[in-house]
Formats: sequence, structure tokens, C-alpha cells
Amino acid sequence: MNEVIERALFTAKKLGATYADVRLIERVVEDISVSNGEVKGVKKRLTKGFGVRVIVDGAWGFFSSYRVEPLEGEHVAQVAVQIAKASARTKIEDARLAPIEIYQEKVLQPVKIDPFSVPLNKKIEFMLLLDKLMEKPGIIVRSSSMHFSKEWKTFASLEGAFIEQERIVSGAGIQAIATDGREIQVRSYPASFGGDYARKGYEFIEEMKLEDNAERISNEALMLLKAKPAPSGRMDLIIGPYQMALQLHESVGHPSELDRVLGEEASFAGTSFLTPEKLNNFQFGSKYVNIVADATVDYALGGFAYDDEGVKAKRIYLVKEGLFVGYLNSRETAQRLGLEPMGAMRADNWNRQPIIRMTSINLEPGNMTLEELIEGVQEGLLIDVNKSWSIDQKRLNFQFGTEIGYEIKNGKIQDMVKNPTYSGITYEFWRSLDGVGNDSYYHILGLPNCGKGEPMQVMEVSHGSSYARFRNVTVGVKHE
Amino acid sequence: MNKERILEILDYVVKSTRADAVEAVLVGGESHLTGFANNYIHRNVGEENYELNIRVVLGKKIGASSTSDLSNDAIDAAIENAIGIAKLQKENKDFVSLPKNYPGETEFKFVSDIPDADTRASIVKVLVDESKKYGFVSSGKFEVELMQLAVKNSLGVERYMERTASTLKNIVMTDTSSGFSQDSKADYRDINVQNILEESLEVAKMAQNPVSIEPGKYEVILTPYAVEEFLSSMKYLSLSAKNIEEGTSFMKGNFGEKMFPDLITLFDDGLNDETLKMGFDFEGVPKKKVTFVENGVIGDVVYDSFYAYKEGKEPTGHSLPQPNELGAYPMNFFVGKGGSTVEDMISHVEKGLFVQRFWYTNPMEPVTLLITGMTRDGLFLIENGKITKPVKHMRFTESILNAFNNCLEISNISKIIYEDGAVTTAPYMRIKDFNFTSATEF
Repeated sequence: MNEVIERALFTAKKLGATYADVRLIERVVEDISVSNGEVKGVKKRLTKGFGVRVIVDGAWGFFSSYRVEPLEGEHVAQVAVQIAKASARTKIEDARLAPIEIYQEKVLQPVKIDPFSVPLNKKIEFMLLLDKLMEKPGIIVRSSSMHFSKEWKTFASLEGAFIEQERIVSGAGIQAIATDGREIQVRSYPASFGGDYARKGYEFIEEMKLEDNAERISNEALMLLKAKPAPSGRMDLIIGPYQMALQLHESVGHPSELDRVLGEEASFAGTSFLTPEKLNNFQFGSKYVNIVADATVDYALGGFAYDDEGVKAKRIYLVKEGLFVGYLNSRETAQRLGLEPMGAMRADNWNRQPIIRMTSINLEPGNMTLEELIEGVQEGLLIDVNKSWSIDQKRLNFQFGTEIGYEIKNGKIQDMVKNPTYSGITYEFWRSLDGVGNDSYYHILGLPNCGKGEPMQVMEVSHGSSYARFRNVTVGVKHE
Repeated sequence: MNKERILEILDYVVKSTRADAVEAVLVGGESHLTGFANNYIHRNVGEENYELNIRVVLGKKIGASSTSDLSNDAIDAAIENAIGIAKLQKENKDFVSLPKNYPGETEFKFVSDIPDADTRASIVKVLVDESKKYGFVSSGKFEVELMQLAVKNSLGVERYMERTASTLKNIVMTDTSSGFSQDSKADYRDINVQNILEESLEVAKMAQNPVSIEPGKYEVILTPYAVEEFLSSMKYLSLSAKNIEEGTSFMKGNFGEKMFPDLITLFDDGLNDETLKMGFDFEGVPKKKVTFVENGVIGDVVYDSFYAYKEGKEPTGHSLPQPNELGAYPMNFFVGKGGSTVEDMISHVEKGLFVQRFWYTNPMEPVTLLITGMTRDGLFLIENGKITKPVKHMRFTESILNAFNNCLEISNISKIIYEDGAVTTAPYMRIKDFNFTSATEF
């Protein structure tokens, strides 16, 4: 495999590249799904290939191939150079990269239980047990899923970087869908849309205690059918860690991607209201809002040792005591704004070039207990686990729905409510935060499916949060 | 990879796998995307990639594996993986068989030339140079692909397809507005670059300095882009046999019932001239036209072989690569055309909104298809039959079922929208009482 890399870099340089890098990835993935007592699918996938990224004549080109062979290394580099030369036809100024420290390192990821060493029948038996626990009259769909991946990535550049990284991911989730013939209610554990994911081995699945929660979510889905609808109006909101993950993702992570800010994603994902003059100069949230982009948490799904430009993982503030202070950036965008590269360039596979992605975007815990947060609410809702999400292309107007909610009146939890939704304008919302739960409730949720870019890339990211309280939020969407 | 090599690989898999039944699917090809932003090409990428998917059946146990490494060793390992998984599996009592060999064409070629990097760059240059003249900024993509799909199974299925598709998209941004245009064709030379340029520029210019209006219910004219995005959730929540079984589909219990006005017709047709054609699905089953709604009456759903045989029916040719969470999916979805010109539709609106595009739609409730999303890249007030002023973007929260029932007119023209590998051919729609629930700042 090294010969493929050497030939690619050599050819790129020979043909005039002023920068070139190669990423070679071999990844195996196992997915298992069980639904309504049947094993719906078990699949093992191997993907292997490499991509070459070059700057020639001041412009970018990228090509990739599934054929991992030395001659193909030369061919892919040649095509990448041709593509770059074509790009240069519309060039306005040369692409320039901020300098970085160059590393050569091999990084292994130790896990307690290699997920691929656990026999398939053991995983299936466990999922069928979960299915049985969720089985109740009125539950129309019971589903569980498991996902495991193991990857070996080699990154090399003309600057002398040579980094090999192992990445092992485990994830699982269960879901119960209840119906009374008129409507559907859903409950998921530990989170919706496939569950929770981390850079851990099979021990992560065991830690989730899925078997202790299977019956509960079926019961709650059935109770939601009978629950009253969530109210509409303006009231206080306490949001749990699993919905906070989506709030962080959509209204903090994406708008702080510097490529969006600079217009590079305008064709698809959109732009951002966090324009450059706002850096260090804009009150994003209240003084209780401290948000980091942290790729160094050793188990977080959004973490790694080095990004796909060879930048070592970092932890930086995006928002500090409410002030907007940081961007997710790349070497090129960092250079444009005179910033230091912070290592957020990631590609979802060998056949994609890296773009700016989230790492682990975390709201730092506060010092309040959940009881204290609730006691401080006269009229409000406690909500968690995302059900729907939508936000405008500049990341301002958002609307979220969650699976479950509870009314709060006079500082006490009251009835369960169904279909809670809330909406707002991003910075107004974050400025209304006046309390964050302590680290006993803090959880980093792994989201395996953040979509961005053309061509589309699906990235593994994560978000850590405790409970958080927001004042005077618009709840309900008056769609009747 | 040439067709002969592809079929050779599939033949090897089917012949050398010791199982009760086996299926081999090879999908891939070459694709390129020339992306531009800020008036220059900033992301110019390409790939050659194939994936071999293998399904093995032992009794009623199914194992699946795939590989993008097509060396002999890797293929043998993938076969062994699939067999190993099948052996460890539980029996699926609902599984009947891999698909039978249905009669029909076995080879399809819907291909044209693929433009090289220089040709793509020169077309993009036309778009960005025009934006520069006005002091505007262009972003977009010129994406081209040659897809090859081949399916062979031990029940005699063997089918092969090649298809090219090209998509040109341009978003023009001013300081206070943006305008969007996109087109997709099998042959890139059939894309009218001038039309793309004019539409995106015209909308961007007209949308400058938008004013705020109060959210509420408005009569709307939705362009094909807006229709496609609005209906996108329906395609995976409502239209397959799996959706009926799981209870997420509004069609459940309503087959043969008239639920919508006469002008609502929805169907899937992979061999229609107004789509990017597909001859068969990812199980090698020939595409059938399936009518979901005909003149307001609920029709049928799409089936892969698993759900079809489970119900004692025939598959419709809509399977995605197996195994998958969705089962069957409409890859060539149509909203039936009506009889009105767009100009007439606008002239019939006393007070309403012209919506160029929706964005980031998400289902809030699957059975009623309550959807929320934002407008984007052009929103205009219509007063007394004329577009009068640009408006700041708004969030809508509306049910697709309500919208169909409130549909007043449909255009006599439609457009191919190609996103994420699937096609929607959509017209303009005029709908009353469309619910906008909040606004944003731009």
C-alpha cells in the first residue's frame, strides 16, 4: 500500500503539484437490524480505496479509485492534476494553506472488547431478547439495530506527513412505535435515529443497558398515545442531553463551519449568520453558554488523533461565556482569516475530499441539579429525544420536535405531553439560557449521520451536554 | 469496467457460492463534480468506484456482504462472509425467495458522452463570468456520472444497465437575496445553460431587498423545485408495502378511496421519457409503472421481492440494494401534470406567495405527513395576479394531505429534479391556505 502512496505523491509532484496528499482507507462495517421478531438484515461491508488531493496552478483537484495498485496511484494523481488545471480556469487567487506541524505517527485505538470478535449469533440473540421485551399490544413496530466499524487510514503528504490511524466504532439503539389506529407515537433508547455511537468496542453496547430500557420505551410509547398534546405559547423549557445534542448540532456546529461562513457551501448546505466581523465581537448566548469543539475526547464519535489534513486533534472554544470566539476551520480557510488551523477537515471515505466538519461540539456542564432547574420554572416543559428538526440556510430560524415532554407547573413535574415542539432564532434562544445541569447528567451523544457537501458526505460527529434551561421560548407551532 | 468483466464477476459469484440461492449485484462507475463558490471552482472531484453486493440464502436464513475490493481474494472473502452470516442467522419466516426471472429486456443503455474536466470548467465559467458582470456571486455544481448496474442470481436473473446523468445548478447571490436554478438530463448537451443562467439571475435580481410580511395562511404557487422538496418525505414514509405494514402510510385502509381532488395523480415510472430512466431495480426485477394516486383515488404501493412474496404478489421493480431499511422506494417519482400555464396560474392569485424553493424539510407526523421547512432562494408576494415584491423567508408547517386537498391548479409543464440518486418529475402547483408559521431575518 505504501508504494501506491509513493507513486501518487511522486507523480503529482512531477506534474507540477505544489501540494499533494493521499488518503488510503480500508474499512469493514457490520450492520444488524431486527424488527418485529425477525432478523431483517445482517450485512458485512468492506470498502477499500484511496484519494489524491492536489494544488496545481493554484487550484484544487481530487480524484479517487477503488483499485489500490501502484500503477493506479500514478493514474489517479494524473487525473487529479488534470482536474486541478481545469479548476484554474476560473481561479481568482491561488489556494494557500496555513502552515502546520508535520507528524509521522501510528495511532492505535485500544478497546476492551473488539466488536468483531463477538459472535454474530450472540448479537442476534440479544437483539431478539430486546425485541421480546418491547412486545406489547399496541406496539406496531419494535426495532433494534447494531453497527460496528473498524478502519485503518493512512495519510501522507508532499510536506512529509505520514500518519496511520485505527478507528473502531460501536453503536446501537432500540425503538418502539405505538398506534391506536389514528396516530403514531415513537419512543427510542438511548436516542432516536439509530441510537448512540462511540469510538469504543462492544463494551459500549453493554454499558447502554438496552435490556433495562426496552420495556420502558414501549410503555412510554403507549402512554404517549393517551397523553394530552403539548401546549402552545411562550414558556420556559428544560431540554435533556439527547435533544441538546441536536440543538448544538444545528444551531452551533453548522454555523461555525468557516467554509459555510465564507460562502463555500452556498450551493447546497447554505451559509451562516456568524460572519467574520462577529468573531470575538458577538454575544451568541448568555454568560452560562460555554461551547467547545473538542476532537481530543478519547471515546467521542467526533474525535480522532489527526484530521484529514494531518492536523493534530485540538480542543478550542467556539463560544466562551456567551461570546462567539471560534470557528471550525481548515488550513485554507484559517489562512484567509489569519487563524490557526484547529483540525476540522474530515472526509467520510477515501472517495471524498475532506471538508470542514464538526468534531465533538459540547456545552460545558454547569453546577445545577435537575431538581434545581425544575424548581425554577413556574410554567414550562421538560423535553428530550429528538423527533424532528429543521433550520434555515443561515442557521437562524429553527424548529425542533421531541419524542416526549412533561409539563412543569410551579416548580414541579406534572403530566406527560405528546408532540412537543419549540422554535426560535438561534442567538435569541441561546441568550435565554440561564441554567445548565452539572456533569452528573452530562452525556456525549454520537451522531453517525451528519450530511454535508457536494458530493454528499455523511460524517460521524458528537455532542456533549447536560440538561439546560431556556426562558420564554416559543413552544407549539400552531399548525392546526 | 467493461460490461464483460462485470458480468464475469457476477457469474463467478453465482457459480462458486454453495448455497440454496445466491444473488450478486455490482453497482458503480465513474462520477465527477465540478463545484464552484464565490465565482470560482473551489471543489473539483472525481471517483471510480464499484461495490459488489452478495446475498446468500440457506433455507430461510439470509446473509449479505459487500466489497469494493474486486480482487479474487476479496471476492472469495465476501462470499465466505455472506455464507458465514447466513449460517449464524435466525430463519426469517416471512422470506419466500429471491426474485424469479421475470420476462423483459435484459440490457439497457441510456448513455451519452461525459464531459471532461475542461468542458465542465468552461460551462461553469459561463455562469460565474455572468454573475461577475453584475457584481453578484455564483455558487453551484456541474455533476456528471456514468452508472453501471448489473444483477445476477441463481434463479436465472441476469440484467445489465448503463446510464449517464448530468446536473447543472447555479445559485446567484446578491447582498440581500439569492436565486436558484437547476436542471438534470441524461445527456449534458440537453441542459440549456442559458435557461439556468437566466432563471437564477432573474430571481436573484427580483428578490433583492425583501420586505417582512406576517406569517399565516397564504395561497402559494410552488415551483417544481419546491414541490419536489415538499413531497420528499412522502416517498419514504408512505408509498411502499413496508410503510403500509408499519402503519406510517396515509394509504393504509384507504385503497380505492377518493382522498384528493381529481387533479392529483402520483406515480412512479422508470421507463418514462420524462425521467432519468431505469430499466430494473437492485434485485434485477423489471420496472413497472405504479400509480399511487389516480385522479385523487388511492391506488397501489411499490414492492420489493420480500414484501411482494410475503403478501402473495409480484414485485414491482422498486427494490433498493438489499438488505436496507426502506424495502422498496420510488426512484422515478412523478406528480402528474395539469392543464394550466404558469402565467395563468399566477394571474389567478389574488393574494399569495410565489415560492422558488423549499429547504430542510422534515416530517413532524408521518401519517398526516405534517412537514416543516423553510423557503429559500426566492420568495415573492403575488397581488392581484402579479408578482409584486420580494419577501423575507418564512417557515412553513403544513400537511401534504391538506395541501393536496387544497390544490387548485397544476401546470402543464414539469421538470426533472435529480437528488441523491433518485428522480422526481414535478410541475408547478397552486395551493390555497398554505400555512407559514414563522419568519427569519433575511
